[in-house]
Amino acid sequence: MGFEAELRHSGGSVEGDRPSTLATSSHPVTGWRKASYFLRALLAKPASALGFIIFTLFLLLALFGPLIAPYGVNEQIAADAGQPPSAKHWFGTDNLGRDVFSRVVLGAREILGLAGLGTAIAVFFGTTIGLATGYLGGWFDEILMRIFDGLLAMPLLLLALLLLGTLGPSKNSVLLVIIIVYTPIVSRVVRSAVLSVRQRGFIEAARLRGEHMPYILFREILPSVLPALAVEAALRFSYAIFLVASLGFLGVGVQPPSPDWGLMVREARNNVNQIPWAMYYPAAAIALIVIGVNLLADGIKRVLLESQ
Amino acid sequence: MSSPNKLIKALFTLVLLSAFLLQACGAQPPTPQATQPVTPTETPAQPEYPAPTTPPQEPTPAAVGRRGVLRVATQPLVQVDPAMISSDPEVFAANHIYDYLVDVTPENTIAPRLAKSWTVSEDGLTYVFQLEEGVTFHDGSPLTAKDVVWTFNRLRNPDSGYPTADLYANIESIEATGDLEVTFKLKQSNPFFLFDLSDNHALILKENTQDATKFNGTGPFKVVEYSPEDRLILEANENYFVEGQPKLEGVEILFFADQTAMVDALRGGQVDLVMALSTDLYSSLKGESGITLLDAPTNQFDVVRLRSDRAPGKDPRVMQALKLGLDREAIYQLVMAGFGRIGRDSPIGPMYTTYYSEETPLPARDIEAAKKLLAEAGYPDGLKLDLHTPDTGDRPELAVVLKNQWADIGVDINVIVEPESVYYGDQGWLEVDLGITGWGSRPYPQFYLDVMLKCNAKWNESHFCDQEFDRLATIAGTTLDEAERIAAYKEIQKLLIERGPIIVPYFYTQLAAIRSTFQGFVLKSFSGRSDLRPVALVE
Repeated sequence: MGFEAELRHSGGSVEGDRPSTLATSSHPVTGWRKASYFLRALLAKPASALGFIIFTLFLLLALFGPLIAPYGVNEQIAADAGQPPSAKHWFGTDNLGRDVFSRVVLGAREILGLAGLGTAIAVFFGTTIGLATGYLGGWFDEILMRIFDGLLAMPLLLLALLLLGTLGPSKNSVLLVIIIVYTPIVSRVVRSAVLSVRQRGFIEAARLRGEHMPYILFREILPSVLPALAVEAALRFSYAIFLVASLGFLGVGVQPPSPDWGLMVREARNNVNQIPWAMYYPAAAIALIVIGVNLLADGIKRVLLESQ
Repeated sequence: MSSPNKLIKALFTLVLLSAFLLQACGAQPPTPQATQPVTPTETPAQPEYPAPTTPPQEPTPAAVGRRGVLRVATQPLVQVDPAMISSDPEVFAANHIYDYLVDVTPENTIAPRLAKSWTVSEDGLTYVFQLEEGVTFHDGSPLTAKDVVWTFNRLRNPDSGYPTADLYANIESIEATGDLEVTFKLKQSNPFFLFDLSDNHALILKENTQDATKFNGTGPFKVVEYSPEDRLILEANENYFVEGQPKLEGVEILFFADQTAMVDALRGGQVDLVMALSTDLYSSLKGESGITLLDAPTNQFDVVRLRSDRAPGKDPRVMQALKLGLDREAIYQLVMAGFGRIGRDSPIGPMYTTYYSEETPLPARDIEAAKKLLAEAGYPDGLKLDLHTPDTGDRPELAVVLKNQWADIGVDINVIVEPESVYYGDQGWLEVDLGITGWGSRPYPQFYLDVMLKCNAKWNESHFCDQEFDRLATIAGTTLDEAERIAAYKEIQKLLIERGPIIVPYFYTQLAAIRSTFQGFVLKSFSGRSDLRPVALVE
């Protein structure tokens, strides 16, 4: 309510019936104010606040992991192999004498980086394709969407396994898989949002003004589909985390000795009777971050809906 | 859209997630002492056989002394034709349905089985076997020399594609020289020929057997029911030729996909014997009442090998540097957790007590010397290598430990873990530069030298070719003088430590667990050859 009003005034542009101007602000002060309003609205609900806190925590781990972790990611202390959690090793050690706490902390960068980069690229391609197909329509739209239908008809994990089987397991392959799997999904969401605004007055106006297509796509249409896109991107990010962990667990993703959480669960499950903590902590980390990102995505969606 | 709703949703998600993860990992419920453990989904339904505790029925003359059904948990069988079997459970099942001509004891010596006696000519080229009298197949027909001749001719037929064709290429002829007498003639003397005759595949079939799923053997047990991927039900062969054997009424081989489930079933009383246990599951059974733990030394090992026919392995100093970069004790403790034995870079392990030698010392870890050797070989700044490994057993862990230790000498390892079907598929394992391969236990060591390290060896994965090695291996594999063979093996072990292309970091121990009410079970190095004939149920 108040937030929406604030947005309209601070944005300063009042052409047509454009619903939101999130992307058109230029002044740094108004940018900050918008962000702080957004944050305040987000933190108003406990669930979203919890999601925000969890996500921020993991983000900090990802950024400052090497400063926090007491041991190296691959440091093997043979004498301490299979130790239960203690003051020396907070989460215990695995069967190879590696500190589980350090590996969980350092794994945050691994998984957030991979899932984040993959999602960002997928969102970029998905948005571009979605905008173009939604706006242009016709045979271009038809062909691309039928291809994406084909891709989406396959179960996601199966498609990922097929791709990795062909590419061979590595970090780059996982990245490529996230992009290939999520680009069609993002582009469909964006496309449907575009279809709903394409016929509206401000687009017509821009066309009559003689604006070229990229301007219409990115300056006129994109801001109006941004709320849908933001929610979609946050959701994709949480699924990407889950996908990276799943592929690691299945042994076809990131390769050892990477501290990928899914891979850590896989490695620890042979010894789960003797050294259960080596499995529980990375598993809990996966669960926690997926929940955190999901709550955050829900919060973002709520704030954006309220602001419209 | 109220916040408590969100929290409940979040909690629910957490529970679901943990459930998914726990289930995916085959974890157990945290109460192992529960009276009625949850039956894993892979477990077949309760056996319909009378439980061992059932009071014995009115004894009939034939069944005197025979009682009890032993239930064994194994992986499912893939092959049932003896010529094609290879895994532990396949050999285990076949070993109880059929008989070998001669058998290998748990001490790795030769014992009679269908052949009650034999003679060997002075030149070691002619073997004459006398078969047991009155042996019948399960269909009632008698065993004759012709069946033995047919069986081995089938196995050695080079057009058959059977894995034994190479093994038996040295046989000149096989003849039935009497109703119950078979004569083998060899092209070249072979001191291990009797072991070759007891190869896992060499189970005696009825002449002209076409359909292996009829299971027409002479063995101690007959097949009652085989349902693939579920179970194999066996009952005692009342006409078995060995007096007083088998002592059990029957054997049920129940198939499980997962070893944790097998051990759960053992704890819960649904099975009585589990073999080829991982060290972790074995340790978890310690102190369990009513269960006897068994172990046997083996010559099963993982070999880390570097191709020696192209760079960087072409320069033997690279392999020497890699060997100097190893902390062998740490590898043994981390990967083997104190089980098994430390290896000495040769396939001739401590199980072969007469041939194994510790005479040549293994070089201790020396980072500087290793770096110097690498520099001399043309890698002053270290080198980058892909390390391929199958995803089974302890091999991925070995790869991780190697990466760590070799980082110290400037060798940057990129670990690539592959499913076995990929690692061994398309002969890929013979192509890669650096790889980890698992080798099974054999009753004598010559096999490894012949198929793995000789210049023209079939599975020469390191592409090693050393004239001196070939000379020594040929002497060891043909001489009839045991002292000469021992000397040759000693030389070979020295040569492999000095310039061999392989690292053998450890030898495994075979681990198993059996319900204590069964006695007389002796675990063998290759668990599939373990013998249930003398096993009896005691209350």
